[in-house]
Amino acid sequence: MNGKNNNAVASALKRFVSNHDFPRLLILIAMFALTAVMQKNFFAMKSIVRNINSFTPLILLTMGQAVVIISGGLDLSVGTALSLLTCVATSVMRQGLPITGVYALLVTFAVAMAMGLINGIGIGFFRVPPLIVTFATSYIWLGIALFLRPTPGGETVDWFQVFYKIRNIESAPASLKAFGEIIPPALVLIILGCILWWIISRTKTGRYIYAVGGNSESAYVTGINTSWVQIKACLINSVFIFLAALFFVGQSRSGDARMGDPLTLKAIAAVVVGGIALTGGRGSVYYAFVGALIFSFVSKIIFFANIPNAFQTLFSGVIIIIAIAGSQLYTLSSRKEMEESKLT
Amino acid sequence: MSTRSMTNFQDSAAYKIIDRHKKLIIAFLLIVFLFVIGEFTVETFLTLSQVLLTLKLASFIALFALCQMIAIAGGGSGLDLSVGYMATITAVFTAAIMEGRNSHLGVAVLAALGLGLVVGLINGTLTAYLRLPPLVVTLAMANILQGVINVYTAGKNITGRPSPVLQTMAAKSTGIFPNIVFLLLIITPIVMILLYKTKLGLKLFGSGANETAAYLSGVNVKLVRCTSYIISSTLASIIGLLLLGNMGIAFKDMGSNYVMPSIAAVVVGGVSLTGGDGNYIGVILGAIFLQTLTNLLVALGWGDAGKWTGFGIVLFALLILYLSNRRKR
Repeated sequence: MNGKNNNAVASALKRFVSNHDFPRLLILIAMFALTAVMQKNFFAMKSIVRNINSFTPLILLTMGQAVVIISGGLDLSVGTALSLLTCVATSVMRQGLPITGVYALLVTFAVAMAMGLINGIGIGFFRVPPLIVTFATSYIWLGIALFLRPTPGGETVDWFQVFYKIRNIESAPASLKAFGEIIPPALVLIILGCILWWIISRTKTGRYIYAVGGNSESAYVTGINTSWVQIKACLINSVFIFLAALFFVGQSRSGDARMGDPLTLKAIAAVVVGGIALTGGRGSVYYAFVGALIFSFVSKIIFFANIPNAFQTLFSGVIIIIAIAGSQLYTLSSRKEMEESKLT
Repeated sequence: MSTRSMTNFQDSAAYKIIDRHKKLIIAFLLIVFLFVIGEFTVETFLTLSQVLLTLKLASFIALFALCQMIAIAGGGSGLDLSVGYMATITAVFTAAIMEGRNSHLGVAVLAALGLGLVVGLINGTLTAYLRLPPLVVTLAMANILQGVINVYTAGKNITGRPSPVLQTMAAKSTGIFPNIVFLLLIITPIVMILLYKTKLGLKLFGSGANETAAYLSGVNVKLVRCTSYIISSTLASIIGLLLLGNMGIAFKDMGSNYVMPSIAAVVVGGVSLTGGDGNYIGVILGAIFLQTLTNLLVALGWGDAGKWTGFGIVLFALLILYLSNRRKR
């Protein structure tokens, strides 16, 4: 009887451990614990808000990138797209004219959609390899951003801080300020992104994105308009980049043509760490979230370990290579195991 | 023309030759087009000294594009985004080794070869054997190399100068012709013969054109691709020496601005990004085109912003023109 019970526990444990996502969750917990130990007052409200703020851009970009990757694409232009959007927003706004903030929202959103459309047409309609076509467009965005802002700067309206810290806005109603103290705007942006994907994943488009990424040919033969599905994936990505840009402009109150560059590679690596196959069709956008969290905690750890600033680029590069190679080895080995178990 | 005879025509060798030359002709016409525009909009655009300067600067793009072309030719959506950073790191380290002395050139070359070999081996192993996407791997490698440079240069100036021999090779001119152009004239036939007339080139193009066929005929495709990355990185490292020779000093961003042009030159030159192809003459034309475009945009006062926008649009348009694989219902 006792032995039977033990067996049940052991098999349950074994099932949990052999779960495909187990290593990821374990790493996340480990990184979380390590950060909690290293950061003073980790659980204080102030630190939590600060952490959420510094994690937000990567989380949003990673989720957008995940959608594109699942649809069988890959976007190398997210970083420069983000930079361009901050430059656009700060070029439209005029300090002291609150209405220009609304214009900025509209224009920035339109530019984001246009960028998604151009990438989507290249990837989905003309079917040029996604990496190389978005490599090309990333330089178009960079060039335009440099036209707008040769050096970082620009104007913002006061209320744009609603995307970063509501307390900083003098004219904001007290209730809104109180709300901002409980739920930081960054979290609202992330929740918005999650709701967006939650809705989409329940529609036909959500399933088509997986179908096209998994096997474009069969999806096409089944009658799915594969081009349009991939264009839509790029547009969804653009919405996420737009949300990240709002946060950035609210936070830094300026535009910078170069500030998004390092985020491109981090977002891709976070997607991979989140267990989404770079070949497309598999993985969950929410696990991309996990990947982004792991990466964010790692950079916090690097920061709190008092490693000199000069080492940051080097370390993030090394970690990205290890992360990508590690997940690939893990995927390859688990696939081999699966095939072997099928054979026997 | 009926569909069948159309496909027959497309299969014929004559069509393939025309097709290849078509891209060369497009590249050449693009250059002429730019010079015509430049002549009309900018005064003294088409002068001998200007053309020679364009050739000199284009030579460096063409050399970087050679690395790129070899990484691409092996197929497997190969590309090497780390070439520029590879060159920078070599330049930074060898400048300190040489300190302006010819006697230390040998050591510097050995260091360059060693560095290139190590980086290429890592790139090649990760892409060929672990089957990771080359763009992502080499982008991460670029980050790592930039990181090493950042660490090395943190808190101190980059010191050292290239040896005079390198300066003569890369920066000086013989008569009116820049020496680097002669170097390119020597390299080009060697590359073309190696790629088109030897077994080595056949293996490389075979792996790129049809992986399965190459594997079945006994080619170790993974080894070939890994080797192509080693060659690419080692070449980039050597180009770092030349770049140092041209500039006279090493600095943090000296090579990174060549990454995008190196890929664009390959595409403008009509080399297929899917691999199995590699006409270096086209790539040189592509490099000249890009340099002319840069000159034009700078002369018009659009600077860096115009350069990157222009390069991006040209690359995007040509990718669609050459690689479009549209489905027709």
